[in-house]
Amino acid sequence: MKMQRALTRWLLALGALHGTVVCAGFFAPYDPAVQDRMYPYLPPMRVHLVDTQGHLHARPFVYQPKLRVGSFDQYEEDITDPRPVKFLPSGDYYRLLGFLSCRRHLFGAKNARIYLLGTDAYGRDQLSRLLFGGQVSLVAGLLGAGITLLIGMCIGAVAGYFGGWRDGLLMRLSELFMALPWLYLLFAIRAFLPLAVSPLKAFFLIIAVIGTVGWARPARLVRGVVLSAKERDFVRAARGFGATNGYLLRRHILPETSSVLLTQAAILIPQYVLAEMTLSFLGLGVPEPVPSWGNLLSSLQQYSVLISHWWMYLPAVAIVPFFLGYLGLASSLHERGAAYKIESRILGNLT
Amino acid sequence: MKVEATIGKNMQPLLRVENLVKRYAKQSLAGTPEEFLALDGVSFTVFPGTTLAVVGESGSGKSTLAACLACLESPTAGSIWFAGREIAKLEERASRQIRPQIQVIFQDPASSLNPRWSVMEVLAEPLILQRKFTREEIDRGISSLLERVGLSPDIVERSPTELSGGQRQRLAIARALALEPKLLILDEALSALDCSVQAQIANLLVELQGSLEMTYLFITHDLAMAAHLADEIAVMDRGRIVEQGQAQKILKQPEQETTRQLLAAVPRLTLVPPLLEQ
Repeated sequence: MKMQRALTRWLLALGALHGTVVCAGFFAPYDPAVQDRMYPYLPPMRVHLVDTQGHLHARPFVYQPKLRVGSFDQYEEDITDPRPVKFLPSGDYYRLLGFLSCRRHLFGAKNARIYLLGTDAYGRDQLSRLLFGGQVSLVAGLLGAGITLLIGMCIGAVAGYFGGWRDGLLMRLSELFMALPWLYLLFAIRAFLPLAVSPLKAFFLIIAVIGTVGWARPARLVRGVVLSAKERDFVRAARGFGATNGYLLRRHILPETSSVLLTQAAILIPQYVLAEMTLSFLGLGVPEPVPSWGNLLSSLQQYSVLISHWWMYLPAVAIVPFFLGYLGLASSLHERGAAYKIESRILGNLT
Repeated sequence: MKVEATIGKNMQPLLRVENLVKRYAKQSLAGTPEEFLALDGVSFTVFPGTTLAVVGESGSGKSTLAACLACLESPTAGSIWFAGREIAKLEERASRQIRPQIQVIFQDPASSLNPRWSVMEVLAEPLILQRKFTREEIDRGISSLLERVGLSPDIVERSPTELSGGQRQRLAIARALALEPKLLILDEALSALDCSVQAQIANLLVELQGSLEMTYLFITHDLAMAAHLADEIAVMDRGRIVEQGQAQKILKQPEQETTRQLLAAVPRLTLVPPLLEQ
């Protein structure tokens, strides 16, 4: 019961986080590609409720930023120019869930632009880019993990169920895949492709590559479960009724692997998000101007950004709650799987 | 129901096993593969409508014998004639045709019934796998099977894990009866149950044999139960049949040391003679 509640809690937390990213268009005040050349590398703006005279305002406001006198990259707040925050204003068009055309945003500012997490070198809003970038990175992680688990399940099931030379061959192959330095393999694959690839193609290419590379570990885990499941008496009984191999795998054996696969999914998704970030950081992933978490961090390759614009690190911070959520989910799934096993064993022995 | 009473002189045996050998290769670390003889030249005959009990200690090859007879494993050598057909060396496809006629009841019903399924699904499985029944026939089949083994029809929605041990073994028996097998192999089918439940299930088996003219191969380590259920007893030791004969004779005049040890291990022996005289 307590375990079930922990599981629900992790699922709710992850659902909320993903919901925010899925509805990025609504939560982000601007289009992620729109530039504001007036304010490159603007630090995060502060939202005020009390003005410099000490008056309390009912509506929160921001001060319009201006260049500090005698400087060309230092900003300060123009205290003579407050701009109230507007809730649910109309703004840039976006497509909610990929097809609903909308222009309503959670917040904005009247006659001004509001940058809660600052801007990048082209004056693009970091918050909007962070939210939209999450879509790319998380989809890459989810799809990649899906591909990995599908391949791993099929290979593990074949190896475990049919055994013999198939098992030997597939397990040697899985060892080979685990031994590969896959980052350099990706470089090599990238080198084979034409120099300019469209963002969409590049995106699916990375997903395919990171998805295909990691099948070895889940395949070995699935193989172990299949090996023990195929000797269970209910599988032998079903064979006795004239069941075919395909039926036994589909109805009796693969359902036994579900808890291992779910736990693996919760471990693999953050790993693959991280893999996408690494690739994009290195310039092998989704190209500009499409944002992804790795893309956003790639400006940190410049030393000047690294030392003077701290808000450019924020995408790296943003992934922490996601990873915590997934790891928490993985451990409570694992516990539930173990508990299920113990429970069915105890129930099984009660006569 | 004794052997002489039910079979005539020229009746065909349902099952004839000749010189059956099953050898397992054990790959040891050192490299030389070791061999393990689970069955070492087993021969016997079972006539329709009778019960043969195969009695032996654990590790004597009883369960390997059951697996070979049920076409779940193929023997290394020897032959198995079932209803006039040699089934020891069948291809996978052909043995899939034979298997439904020889059903096995396993020792532990907790593991022979998929815990993720409902009673309904468990009972429907053999019927669905045969692909010759309609939805209605399956529904009717399920309720008549439940009735036959004395289970209430209210339990169809439940999971087998929610049933008691006795109910679960009844369910396993009902499932095995679904395809109207000619031979039922009871592989330690009573050993995991309480004494009182054991007696109930044993009576159910006797009853079913009477009404369905079933043939049983009763595999057990319990000589007393074997004597209660079987017409003939074969005692196994290390892959061989060391003694075989009519149940009463084996009980009263055991010739082999193994049999005497098995007899000595039966605590309820004093209860057996009255049972036998029924």
